[in-house]
Amino acid sequence: MGATDVFERRAVISGVGQSEIGRQVDRSGFQLTLDAVLAAVEDAGLEIDDIDGLAMFPGGGTANLPGYSNGNLYEVQDALRITTTWKQGLVEGMSLPFYGPAQAVATGQARHVVIWRTVKEGSAARKAGGRPAYGSTKPVAEGPLAWLLPIGMLSPVCQVAPYAARYMHEYGVTREQLAWIPVTQRAHAARNPRAVYRSPLTVEDYLGARMISTPICLYDCDVPADGATAIVVSAADTAPDLRAPVRIEAMAGVVEGRPSWEQWEDMGRVGHGAAQAMWARTDLRPGDVDVAELYDGFTIECVWWLEAMGFCGTGEAGAFVEGGKRIGLDGELPLNTWGGQLSGGRLHASFGHTAEAVRQLRGEAGETQVADAEVAAVTNVGGFEAGAALLTRW
Amino acid sequence: MDATIGIPPAVNEETEPFWTAAQQGRLVVEGCTACGAESFPPRGICRSCRSRETAPTEITDRGVVYSLTVNHQRWLPDLEVPYAMVLVEFPGHPGVRVAGRLRGCDPEEASIGMAVDIGFEPGPGGCAIPSFVAVPAGGGS
Repeated sequence: MGATDVFERRAVISGVGQSEIGRQVDRSGFQLTLDAVLAAVEDAGLEIDDIDGLAMFPGGGTANLPGYSNGNLYEVQDALRITTTWKQGLVEGMSLPFYGPAQAVATGQARHVVIWRTVKEGSAARKAGGRPAYGSTKPVAEGPLAWLLPIGMLSPVCQVAPYAARYMHEYGVTREQLAWIPVTQRAHAARNPRAVYRSPLTVEDYLGARMISTPICLYDCDVPADGATAIVVSAADTAPDLRAPVRIEAMAGVVEGRPSWEQWEDMGRVGHGAAQAMWARTDLRPGDVDVAELYDGFTIECVWWLEAMGFCGTGEAGAFVEGGKRIGLDGELPLNTWGGQLSGGRLHASFGHTAEAVRQLRGEAGETQVADAEVAAVTNVGGFEAGAALLTRW
Repeated sequence: MDATIGIPPAVNEETEPFWTAAQQGRLVVEGCTACGAESFPPRGICRSCRSRETAPTEITDRGVVYSLTVNHQRWLPDLEVPYAMVLVEFPGHPGVRVAGRLRGCDPEEASIGMAVDIGFEPGPGGCAIPSFVAVPAGGGS
């Protein structure tokens, strides 16, 4: 490790909480946020008055899609009567939900930070009669989107699809192989009562599904959902006050390459910079990971992370997941044990992944529990904005 | 295939030369007058040598499809589907990749590595969008 200050080890994840999650939950985003925040604080073994940092992702006013329902940070602060010494609402992307909060508690700027992500994209999609166009909340396409939306790349599906096409072209990976990611995750979701879709999914169902934007089909896309997730990050020296903290062994966030979807130089290799930076902060190795909660806005994003994290070699993810055994609950690398966003619901930005990793490491994952889970990998997004972490049992 | 249903671009100091040239059917990128490198999208600074001395430079070469997708989903009311979109690179112009629609072949015939000619067509809000034209296999130069 050399002289690296692995500051994240001075932080722990102390609590996770979630509201009701579903395709449509008929309560305001604000109430869902309060449900999740209150549950997370209780889960940590803390009182609301212990909280001195608030954060949400994304920050206010940055919604590119209907159904981004975080609300306003000041209104949450007001409703809960919290005094903060640190707050954050990032406008651009975010490497990991707990990244900024861990920095805050590791540097003494706060003791206990709660961060939340609230979505009502399920309701928004229903209201729009289908999944809405990205950027349709604004009259013109700004920044990187100015090169994408006008030509008809009106959704993240269209923006990510060329990555999948290029990857499959370069490495000869097939849809028959990649099908095992959504199919296996659906089997996991069947055991998770909170998951949005729990009915069985087969490879044949996948291959017969309609195309959204080639080669991405319906079951390659995460499920728009309503729900809130909150995570409490605490200073590690408060551990005696906490019910069941989880360690942050290592984390890294990297912005690299060209920050727009269509300009990424090598669409066959994504996320390697963040993974490499993360592995440089720990003596643990890919073989030490017991459970992998890898971002899956789309199937192809799981592929990126399986390869970037070193669970398999570049171009080998198709063979790695084929048959589903290796990534099943009793396989060598159980993948997205809660169903992931593909079946569990698009809770976004790895909030759902982080919550599940914490449950796994505590032994509180119920029917999806992986035996003796001591090390969990959590990753977020991919491409120019990417975050990777290892969480470990206390 | 109509491409005018959609969301128009915000046009700013850096991107105005591109969108103005697009209306004339010309593809301009950002050329560095100091080192000669080209980059896209324009940033008002050379991505190679960081010189601020840049000028719009036209590309007329035939391009090659780096990757693509065929969109089947009607994201907006009245959007005509399916349509192919391609990411195009130019062998003589490293540092430049341009996304656009594809015309001149069935969307399902689009493939990585295929040759395309530069073109534009009417897009949302009165803008002109890149709309590459498929070169028939064995097609002339």
